[in-house]
Amino acid sequence: MLKPFLILCLGNEVLSDDAFGPTIAGILNTTQRDCEQVEVIFAPVAGFGLLDLLNGRDKVLLIDSIVTGGVPPGTLHFFPMGTLTPSRNLTTSHQMSLPTALELGRQLGYQMPEHIDVLAVEVADVTTLNESMTGQVSAAIEPALESVDQWLDLQTGKDVYVNREAPTTVK
Amino acid sequence: MKSIVIDPITRLEGHGKIHLFINDDGELANCYFQVPELRGFEKFCQGRPVEELARITTRICGVCPDAHHMASAKAADAVYGVTIPSAARKLRELVYNAFYAGDHTTHFYALGGPDFVCGPDAPKAERNILGVIAKVGLDAGKKVIAQRARGQRVIEIIGGKKVHPVTAIPGGMSKRVTKEEQQEIIKIGEEMVEFAKFTIQVLNDVVLANKAYLEMILSDSYAHQTYNMGLVDANNHVTFYDGKVRVTAPDGTEHAKYEAKDYLQYVEERVEPYSYLKYPYLKKVGWKGFVDGMDSGVYKATPLARLNVADGMATPLAHAEYERYFETLTGDRSGKTPVNSTLATHWARVVELMFACEATLEQAKDDEINSDHILEPPTGIVGEGVGIVEAPRGTLTHHYKTDQNGIVTEANLIVGTTNNNAPITMSIKRAAEGLIKKGTTITDGILNRIEMAFRAYDPCFGCATHSLPGEMPLEIIIHSAESGEVIEVAKRQC
Repeated sequence: MLKPFLILCLGNEVLSDDAFGPTIAGILNTTQRDCEQVEVIFAPVAGFGLLDLLNGRDKVLLIDSIVTGGVPPGTLHFFPMGTLTPSRNLTTSHQMSLPTALELGRQLGYQMPEHIDVLAVEVADVTTLNESMTGQVSAAIEPALESVDQWLDLQTGKDVYVNREAPTTVK
Repeated sequence: MKSIVIDPITRLEGHGKIHLFINDDGELANCYFQVPELRGFEKFCQGRPVEELARITTRICGVCPDAHHMASAKAADAVYGVTIPSAARKLRELVYNAFYAGDHTTHFYALGGPDFVCGPDAPKAERNILGVIAKVGLDAGKKVIAQRARGQRVIEIIGGKKVHPVTAIPGGMSKRVTKEEQQEIIKIGEEMVEFAKFTIQVLNDVVLANKAYLEMILSDSYAHQTYNMGLVDANNHVTFYDGKVRVTAPDGTEHAKYEAKDYLQYVEERVEPYSYLKYPYLKKVGWKGFVDGMDSGVYKATPLARLNVADGMATPLAHAEYERYFETLTGDRSGKTPVNSTLATHWARVVELMFACEATLEQAKDDEINSDHILEPPTGIVGEGVGIVEAPRGTLTHHYKTDQNGIVTEANLIVGTTNNNAPITMSIKRAAEGLIKKGTTITDGILNRIEMAFRAYDPCFGCATHSLPGEMPLEIIIHSAESGEVIEVAKRQC
């Protein structure tokens, strides 16, 4: 039985700041308490691979990296449901974009999520093979974890993570 | 002179560009193609045990992880001077063919197909897999998804993981295949062959039956007389996992045939001052610029090139399609006359799809894959090794040097698409020549046509520039070369 809530972290753990997603996934998987409702997955996939992971879920938070060039690296972007986010692994996959994947899934009779939000970090370097993120992006990890907590609280109605204080505001 | 910059900011890195230089007469004088490429590979590899690289290099590219896994494992075999057991080789070849079956399927239906199935002039919103399904039916979509899942299942069984295989190690494989798993792969192989037949039918009905499409494929606008490169087996048939690299000339004659370890005798990489991308060319012919012909060392390494260098396909249905392909496009079913139409690459990919599916089935039936003898542990070290496979997007080379403990001291890669940097540049120039003149207003249609010129190559620049038909963010900036003044800016998706 698939868990209804999915935190899907995208990226590449050896590509400098693109390791943001897998880093978040690693932390969440060590602090998650409510395993009945929420699943955290790191997946270096896009396109068709997204279809497999989204199928059967109710609500999904995608965590990814982005380069808009308009804000300093480390800035968090939150794209609520309905926004066609231009984050790295969602718009220019080798196969198809997120909206196309969702529509294809629906046409094929898959159970696509009713609700998908995207949390993306503005990155500085995603073309250098390196196991370390830049300092600015590393500094965004804790705020991102807080945002994940807030999202989960809003969606599930209860505190599902331990080891951190419950957030008081929603960004 | 004016400079036009087409900026394909795929993934929004913002530094991939096409520079078009227009002289005062309004004619295209030159063209440079710049794309993002991953940096720091050699440094990243240095100091690591060579056996780790087969697992790490799968992360270089989310599209061709299996190709990097295999090329890296072969290079590591060579570093340790070990010949892998026959069963291990068969397992590697089998899983690699299954990977191809899935990858070529994805490209034909999701990336290349929309240009033809939906048409090059179809609205941008329709030029994707949804448009393909709308035209050929929802059932086709279900078949595509099922085919992709088949390939992944075989990779999971043999490669140990669905997306990034881990079982090819120096000396062979780390996981054997059970009788039950073999039976499952045989069934998958049978279904794959049926799917490949269906795809050929789609190609016939939707693309080849349309006279205008066939004329477009054969038009001079998309043709280049370059050298061709690809792996061949002992019979000069197309092979993906192992063989000799064969290079043929624009007139179809053999230029070279060599083993992986000798690649530096034949291939040289040129550096241009405006780009950190390298431009490989044939050393013995020499670099003469971005030009066609027997005297130019430019070569391409694509499905089209692989068919050009081969004398045929090793499986019956694929060979029949190979003959039909050459007869239709050159009038010579023997394949001795090369196909030079870039857009025919899509059809060549379908021929290879059929081969990959048939080979998967054929190799799955070989009981040797159940053998327990799948690993020959290395006992010595050579300290240098080269591994070459055919990635779906071109000949992929991994070259490592290590110390006596197998710790990497130097690493060099020539990835599939890098081989094609020069011909891609030439294709863009050819397309742009016909589309952009003095005073031309850059429209979305013009951007689409330029995109098509390099889409056939299925370019894969360091996992960074994958784009969808009509969805690649493009920016063209026209400015005076003398003053730098911006004259016109045309943007799409950015």
